Amino acid sequence: MDLEDDTTILTTLKSFNSFISRPEHPQRLSEHSAGSGILQSQYKRSMELLEAAERVHSKNRYLQLDQEKKQMELSHKRARFELERAASDSARDLEHEVDRNQELLGQIKKLEERAEEVNKKLTEQKEANDALQKNLEGLNKTLEERDDKLGTANQTIRSLKDEIRELRQKIQNQDSKMSAQTLENQELQEKIDLQQRKYQEVSQLCQSLQAAQSSCSDHIIKIKELERRLVFQEQDFAIVKTVKSEVARVPDLEKELKRLRDDNAYLRESRENCSLLKEEVEGLRKKLERMEKTKEELINMELEKERLTEKLHAWENLGQSTGLNISVRSVERSQSELRAELTQQHSKTLEEQKKREAQDALVRRLQKRVLLLTKERDGMRAILESYDSELAPTEYSPQLSKRLREAEDILLKTQSHNAEMEVCLQACINILFFFALLNSVCACIFFLRQKIEDLERERQRLEEQNNILEMRLERHNLQGDYDPVKTRVLHLKMNPTAIAKQERQQEVEALRQEVTRLRDLVRSLQSGGAVGHSQDDTHNPSFSLSLAPSKEVLDLRKQMESSELRNQRLKEVFQRKIQEFRTVCYVLTGYQIDITTENQYRLTSVYAEHMDDSLLFKKGSNGSMQLMETEFSKTLGEMVALHLHHQKSIPAFLSAVTLDLFSRQTTV
Amino acid sequence: MTSTLKGITLKGSAELVAEFFSFGINSILYQRGIYPPETFTRVTHYDLSLLLTTDPKLKSYLTNVVSQLKEWLFECTVQKLVLVITCLETNEVLERWQFDIECDKSAKESSAPREKSIKTIQHEIRSVIRQITATVTFLPLLETPCAFDLLVYTDKDLVVPDKWEESGPQTIDQPEEVRLHSFTTSIHKVNSMVAYKKTESA
Repeated sequence: MDLEDDTTILTTLKSFNSFISRPEHPQRLSEHSAGSGILQSQYKRSMELLEAAERVHSKNRYLQLDQEKKQMELSHKRARFELERAASDSARDLEHEVDRNQELLGQIKKLEERAEEVNKKLTEQKEANDALQKNLEGLNKTLEERDDKLGTANQTIRSLKDEIRELRQKIQNQDSKMSAQTLENQELQEKIDLQQRKYQEVSQLCQSLQAAQSSCSDHIIKIKELERRLVFQEQDFAIVKTVKSEVARVPDLEKELKRLRDDNAYLRESRENCSLLKEEVEGLRKKLERMEKTKEELINMELEKERLTEKLHAWENLGQSTGLNISVRSVERSQSELRAELTQQHSKTLEEQKKREAQDALVRRLQKRVLLLTKERDGMRAILESYDSELAPTEYSPQLSKRLREAEDILLKTQSHNAEMEVCLQACINILFFFALLNSVCACIFFLRQKIEDLERERQRLEEQNNILEMRLERHNLQGDYDPVKTRVLHLKMNPTAIAKQERQQEVEALRQEVTRLRDLVRSLQSGGAVGHSQDDTHNPSFSLSLAPSKEVLDLRKQMESSELRNQRLKEVFQRKIQEFRTVCYVLTGYQIDITTENQYRLTSVYAEHMDDSLLFKKGSNGSMQLMETEFSKTLGEMVALHLHHQKSIPAFLSAVTLDLFSRQTTV
Repeated sequence: MTSTLKGITLKGSAELVAEFFSFGINSILYQRGIYPPETFTRVTHYDLSLLLTTDPKLKSYLTNVVSQLKEWLFECTVQKLVLVITCLETNEVLERWQFDIECDKSAKESSAPREKSIKTIQHEIRSVIRQITATVTFLPLLETPCAFDLLVYTDKDLVVPDKWEESGPQTIDQPEEVRLHSFTTSIHKVNSMVAYKKTESA
């Protein structure tokens, strides 16, 4: 490539040379020839340089090629050397190989001998193999026979298993049948129970029926008895009728009997009345006696009364004559008492009189009755006497005696008849009684039937009520009610509800306590905070009440305290400094400057004659100081005019004033 | 332990009923949310997946009550078991689960065991417990914190054991009542029902 580049350079150079060295243009001006000659020399120099460069370059190339050639030769030599070495190595290897070959050949021979031996052994073993194979065949045959036997045995096993399965199925079937039968059994037992219950009910019904039947038979018997009695009664009725006819024959005697009996009764009553009346009369007599006694007493009382009245009069006279006022009241009292007694006695006498009158009336009545009774008695006696006189005849006629006897017979008959009649009456009464009994029995039966119906109705009603109550009970039972007589409700003392309630209570109490504690805290904080705002430095003792102030609060408090302290110290320092400065100003300038109001400054000189001598300066809006009119400034009019108006210098004015005052002070 | 071959004795019946109560009460406590659901663990019984509490205090309380109940069932002196759910804020009874127990007193200790298969009894118990779970659909929500209590109605002449005391019936004012299925072991018959306070609606 370099060569090619060189060639291009060379070709360009050559072309450039050819261009330059072309038949030049008609020789131009000498002006340019010199120039072109320079150019040519320069070109020649450059060409020479180029050629030199070419030569150098080619030399370089030649050197390079030489070097390469040398290197190639070296490498050739090395390669050759190596090849020789390799050849020697390979020759050695060859020898080795040859040796090994020979060894191997020896080995091969040995192996061939061995192979022959082995072959022999092989043939022997083949023969043995054949024998063994024959044995094997024999054994295989026996094996096959045994396999056949096994097969048959397996078949038998399978058949047995099938049988077992069938048997198991049968067992299961039987089990199911058994269970079904047990279920049937249970059902049948239940049915049996039902039937037994029904049977019991039926037997009860039978018993009740039998009882009813027995009662029915009893009733039938009773009815039969009653019928028999009825028959008897009818017979008795017939007898009674016959008797009645007989009875009709003797009405008159009965009437007479009645009359006699009535009279007897009446007489007995009258006798009783007489006795009663006698008793009454005796009683009345006694009363009369008592009345007479009371009368005597009355008379006595009246006599006493008269005496007492006489006494009264005497006392009154005494009272009037003596004119003593000794116990007028007592006298009056005794008078009133006596009057009361009098009235009492009057009333008593009136009562007694009334009683006596009543008794007299009674007595008169009784006497009348007695008279009546005695008259009746006399009448009866007369009748009886008349009867007796009638019955006590001097001449008895046979007819009368006959009649008497007949009458007596008739009496006897009638008496016997009466007795019979009484017996009949008794029988009739008994019959009637029996009838009444029957009626009562019928009524009883009717009554009992009604009662049975009522009881049945009541039973139904009670049954309904019972059902309702049972339903209610069941509902209550469902709701949890219980009969305190029979049951009791228990639970464990430590049950979860009680525990939960206790825990809740404890929680509530703990919360309450915490609430009170927090409230106190809040109150203390509020009060502590309020006081802390008013006092800067002092620590409020209520701060100590706060139980656990947070760390932040403590830090902030500390910071606050420190800042306050700092402020305090700064203020003190400033105050001191200001004071120092003011005193220094006063000492040095001779004026004490005070700020009276905003922008107004009062100056007082050291040497002021009076305390009030001061100058007032005001700071204007543009910043300039102006002197205000004061009494002292009026005295300094000249200086004002000079220093302020003319010179416009306040310090000069002030110093002039100081000097002036100082001079005054010292001279004076 | 009773098996179908031997039949149900009085003791076996008491054990079965007490076991039912133990599981039933746990189910009710879980369903009604009286205790948080994470305190319950699943067990399998009666061919059902049931929940039992793991809270130790509650467990000990329930074992106390159920063991005492077993004794009373054996003596046939218990008439009812009631689970009362009370609202803690207002102290009023919100729900009342009542189990009436009818005991056949003719089955004494020495009498022959009764023929009833355990499978049937378990089937019946299963239906009751399924119903208890299903009550969630119609019972009103218990929004306030609640606590429960177990009351036992016994015969009056019973000796009150230690740690037990008398209590009121804790009934609900104007309740709504729902009857659930019942089951019987042929010696004890248990009727279940739930009464709850009507919610004010409309």
